[in-house]
This record gives sequence, structure tokens and C-alpha cells, in this order.
Amino acid sequence: MVGIVLVSHSPALAEGAAELVGQIAGGARVVPAGGTEDGRLGTSTRLIVDAIAKADQGAGVLVIPDLGSSVLSARAVIADLDPGAPPVALADAPFVEGAVAAGVAASIGADLSAVARAAEEARDARKL
Amino acid sequence: MPASSEGPATAGRLQNTEPPENTEPPATAEPPENTEPPATAEPPATAEPPATAEPPARAERAVILPKHLHARPAGLIAQAAARYPQTTIEIVADGRRADARSILAVMALGAVAGSEVLVRTAGAQADGATATVVAILTAAED
Repeated sequence: MVGIVLVSHSPALAEGAAELVGQIAGGARVVPAGGTEDGRLGTSTRLIVDAIAKADQGAGVLVIPDLGSSVLSARAVIADLDPGAPPVALADAPFVEGAVAAGVAASIGADLSAVARAAEEARDARKL
Repeated sequence: MPASSEGPATAGRLQNTEPPENTEPPATAEPPENTEPPATAEPPATAEPPATAEPPARAERAVILPKHLHARPAGLIAQAAARYPQTTIEIVADGRRADARSILAVMALGAVAGSEVLVRTAGAQADGATATVVAILTAAED
């Protein structure tokens, strides 16, 4: 199953979103990587690396950043991955909706490109 | 710490307790994108099938929702729809259609408790897919 990493400046935001996706998309493995290593607002490449390792179950990992330096940090981590590491993709998607859609796709066994597509389709999803 | 969740936790479950009155979609709402037929939709039934082919199975059932069609049931429906890859499954509420495979489209229907929705399926296992989705829609809040 594809794993999902949620990268946010805020530990609470990443953890809350992961909890939400876990309830809606039962079975998906969603790992938060929010804030700095000492729990302040910010991003940490080390936390992202650790979260990717936790999320990985052999089928790849989709990283969903919230905005700003979350995107930059996630990109830096992915650029530095070992060539032999499982595939990791970065989603260009709204944070909550993308995480929910990706979580459902992962939970039904979709592959990494399909999970990434589910997240990115959330850009066009209307709420009303 | 496995951040993912194995099934619903017993604490802090998602609830949707707002009165249905304020979940009505605004009267001015435009038809959303999710009213488009899903990409997997079959050709219109007017296409003349080859004489030897059986017509695609179709099924349709209306249900009155006992609960809002909110995030968790929408997720269950999307997960269940994945078990019927050969079947087109639509949920229709108030004239708007959603592909059951898209949790975001299903949530965007904004279907509230007490309203009627239609489950419309086509393709192999249409009856089974319909029954599965109807069971999720009509299950009491767990």
C-alpha cells in the first residue's frame, strides 16, 4: 500500500489532518511531519525523511505539503533520496482535500501514480 | 508511532451534529463539476449494441438517508466502489450526480439526513454494487 506523508509548518495541523484521513480512509498509513524538530512552527527535512521511512510499505510514498517552505523542504528531501529508495512523489494538491482523496485511493490499493492523481484531482473539487 | 489509523478510533470520532437546515446548498449554487459523468461512463444507452451482446446490466435504487452523507460514509462508499472496477456507480442527489469513486464529489453533494438519493449503477455486478452502496447509505450511524 502507498504511504502518505503530510508536511506542514504546524505539528498540530499535520497531526490533525493525519488523524482525519485515518478516520475517513480506514487502512491508509498516513504519517505527519509537521513543525521543527523541537516542535515549533516551521519545517524539518529530518522529520520529513523519518516520516517517509515510517510511511513506506514498499509501494512508494506520496508527500503532500501545505505551502511555502513545506514544499521547498519536501522537494529538497526528495531530491536527496537514495537512488535505490522506494519511489516518493510530491503532490501539488490542497492539503486537507488532497490528503483525504489520496488516503482513500491508498486504502483501496491504488498505485503511487493513481494516489498522486487522486490528490491532485482535489484541486478541481467543488465543496458546494 | 504508526500515525495511521487502523479503523476508526473510539475517541474523537467524526461527528456531524449540525442541524440539517444550514447544510442546504445555497439556492444560487451552480451545477458543480461533479455532475459530469465519470470518465468511465459507458456510451449512451441509445447506441445500438451488437445483436449478440447482452445489454449492460443496470440498476437503480432510491433511498432516504437516515444520516448526512458526510465524510465517513463518503469514504466508505469510495472504498466499496473500488471493489467493483467494472461498474459505473453514481450517486444522484437533488439532480446532481457524483461518481461514487470520488469521495470529494460525493461529499460535495451535500446530501442531508431525510433527503432522497438515487444509487445508479451500470455494468457488471450492477446489482451487487447497488446493494453495497445502499447498505452504506442506509446504515445507522455507528
